[in-house]
Amino acid sequence: MKELIEAIAKALVDNPDQVVVRAVEGEQITVLELRVHPSDLGKVIGKQGRTARSVRTILNAAGMKLKKRFTLEILE
Amino acid sequence: MESAGAAKSGRPLESYLPSLESLLHEVLRHSGFELDFSIQKVPAPPTELESTEYVVEFSGRDADLLIEKNATLLNALEYVLLKAVRLEEEHFGRITFDCQDWRRLRAEELKLTAQIAAERVEETGDPFSLNPMNPRERRLIHLALKDRPEVRTVSEGVGAERKVVILPATPPRRR
Repeated sequence: MKELIEAIAKALVDNPDQVVVRAVEGEQITVLELRVHPSDLGKVIGKQGRTARSVRTILNAAGMKLKKRFTLEILE
Repeated sequence: MESAGAAKSGRPLESYLPSLESLLHEVLRHSGFELDFSIQKVPAPPTELESTEYVVEFSGRDADLLIEKNATLLNALEYVLLKAVRLEEEHFGRITFDCQDWRRLRAEELKLTAQIAAERVEETGDPFSLNPMNPRERRLIHLALKDRPEVRTVSEGVGAERKVVILPATPPRRR
């Protein structure tokens, strides 16, 4: 699922080489921490958070197929 | 931004399709969704009501997943992918993601909802709030009721909570 977030984030930003995703696995849930270049934060969050919300919808649906829970944290 | 400027100055819609196709393949591969898709040109020219020029049509074992909960996943994929290929948001309606005829069925449902709600507003004189909808669906409601002189429509709220409110038409006010 890390690769999914990486692929989407790299496509959304202007500085794809600055995209870093780290997976922190817990017992119940895996947290995916996304870091982007500061100037790209708006690109991954979007107007009123619509881009981030849509990415989370895709992540949750993909996680359901694996019967796993994922959460996306966009780090500033 | 160069890409944005190019879109405004009329970058042809076709030029977005190769990157859309390859990114969508990549997203489907990494997400594990069992889905195929094909991109088709819509034969009819765009109209005020129907702006779609290309349809990205999905099929496969996970098709139901795309359209459950009012097509939340289908809409999310459409929004993220069109953003990612740098299509200007004002042109988003020209490329539509679809599955099992969802868009047409949903449009009919929305038009019916709009008419029933408008009838109620006409009878009671009270405003009626519809459920929160995305911009495309709100636009459809506004258009569905624009020729009904007894009511008028406004959008209220922010972000995902934004919804159409149907009101009794009042005489135009001077500022």
